[in-house]
Amino acid sequence: MRRAFAGLALLVAPFTAFAIDAEAVKAKAETCAACHGPGGNSTNPQFPSLAAQVPTYVQLQLIQFREGRRSNPVMSPIAANISDAEAKALGEFFAAQPPKPPANPPAADRIAAGQAIAQRLHCNSCHMPNFAGQKHIPRIASQHYDYLVKQLRGFKSGTQPDIDGMMTESAQPLTDPDIVNVAAYLASLP
Amino acid sequence: MIRRIRSLVAVSLALAASATLAQQQGQTPGQTPATPAPTGTAQTPPPGGPNAQAPAPPIPPSWAQGRRPEQESSTLAPHPPGLTALAANELPTSKIKVPAGFTVSVYASGAPNARSMTFGKDGTLYVGTRFPGAVYAVSPQGQVKTIAKGLHRSNGVAYKDGTLYVAELSRIIAFRNIDGNLDNPKYEVVYDNLPKDEPHGWKFMKLGPDGKLYFQIGAPGNIVMPPYTHAQVVRLDPDKKVLETMAYGVRNSVGMDFHPVTKELWFTNNGRDWISDDMPNDTLHRVTHKGMNFGYPFCHQGDLLDDEFGKGRTCDEFDKPAYKLGPHVAALGMRFYTGNQFPAEYRNNIFIAEHGSWNRTKKSGYGVYRVVLDAKGNVTKYEPFATGWLQGDQFWGRPADVQVAPDGSLLVSDDVAGAIFRISYKKP
Repeated sequence: MRRAFAGLALLVAPFTAFAIDAEAVKAKAETCAACHGPGGNSTNPQFPSLAAQVPTYVQLQLIQFREGRRSNPVMSPIAANISDAEAKALGEFFAAQPPKPPANPPAADRIAAGQAIAQRLHCNSCHMPNFAGQKHIPRIASQHYDYLVKQLRGFKSGTQPDIDGMMTESAQPLTDPDIVNVAAYLASLP
Repeated sequence: MIRRIRSLVAVSLALAASATLAQQQGQTPGQTPATPAPTGTAQTPPPGGPNAQAPAPPIPPSWAQGRRPEQESSTLAPHPPGLTALAANELPTSKIKVPAGFTVSVYASGAPNARSMTFGKDGTLYVGTRFPGAVYAVSPQGQVKTIAKGLHRSNGVAYKDGTLYVAELSRIIAFRNIDGNLDNPKYEVVYDNLPKDEPHGWKFMKLGPDGKLYFQIGAPGNIVMPPYTHAQVVRLDPDKKVLETMAYGVRNSVGMDFHPVTKELWFTNNGRDWISDDMPNDTLHRVTHKGMNFGYPFCHQGDLLDDEFGKGRTCDEFDKPAYKLGPHVAALGMRFYTGNQFPAEYRNNIFIAEHGSWNRTKKSGYGVYRVVLDAKGNVTKYEPFATGWLQGDQFWGRPADVQVAPDGSLLVSDDVAGAIFRISYKKP
């Protein structure tokens, strides 16, 4: 498994030109599809979906991985040699892909509980009322439940880096039951 | 090693953030207005205690504190952090407009999130960053070298006698014997007892004429009752480790300098958000004596009582700003012009880098502004000096700091374009 990912990393060649043509971006996105799914709709709940993701979010996260400010055994080597222009182009590519909702919707009572928590913490202030994100703030609607839980637990414990500290701060009032309920609510959204 | 430091920082950050949130939760006013009991009725607490039925208070993100209900649907939000740099030939330098006789050129490019600047020895420019955790050294030829990585909000830089001081979120570190020692230099921690709040936690730092390090400890949110340690401009004796408050009631100052003649401290301050497009102003301040109080969170811009915190207070209690700079302009780095290159009327003027607004429907700031003072220190003129970062409603860069270069030109850092521009003057 690990060897397969190392092989993928080798496919990512350094890129120096300013603009990237559509074919090159599509080829690059094929690498991403191995984990993030065809068209950025991941089928493995461990890996986040990127379809319809906010372009600047994907761009800045790729740069964070490249610079070692965010780290993951799979993503870090893949992003190690990515250029600013590639990061931007990949962000735009995934933003243009239509999202598919995840397969198994969570239980209704947990969705309702999660909605109340999301309202109390004003998650919509940054992530927007439809949770589709804005600027550099990610779309979290219809994201994988497992991935959302993992990220929120990471922010709460301070082990998940974020660019401006906003999510680390925002996750502090969450209890672990809150986290799973909020994740259920967000995963259920279109 | 770096990873270990980072995880320690992250954990301590989380602890600090939870402390601040607890305070904010505890002091969020006006959520459950007390209902007076009808006359003659015994006040009986409801079963389960007085708070059993009370809904938990809402907790907005720090930048959204102070929004009124009708502003909840506003699409205004802080702009994305700059983490990339435009290549030298992509920089729209010709769009920057300056007065006749002045020219703009690129001093350095390829410096993501370049912000606070200070000169070391032999024309080496040190540059701090807010988001990438890097510190750059820029050679007089404009070559950018990353001398430190993995720091936490390494925004403030100051140079003194061969030592480069860097202000991180909650500590001051020192790179000793930095001159000519730019390859992976080691640092030591000088002071690590500063608050760990992320909101307004990044620091501007300036070396004072007394050899002390001046910086701010910002309010931990848009509009909150700050803990007694916050909303201040402070100074640190880097040798004796004594920390003193210079000014209270300062929401967040991200720029300061000392008057070349009087040696008084002057600083810029960022006003609160979510009152209106045109209120309150960002402000320029003059510290005539230690311990002045400029009013936050009770009074803004010297004459505007806060709707919530201003109740029962008056602005007469507080010291006044030297000047109102305009609403939401984000007045950051400022320097007195002490060079010899510009015309004589620029001598001892103040230049201010205005990062540009986010909490305003029509964008403001996004340029370098000029403040002229008379002999008594009164502001006699305030005007744009370099503009053009804003094109229509779109900005391509954001000025973050200014610095007078040894040759008398003015450097402007840009933390979105990842570049440093140079403004020069030549007699016609």
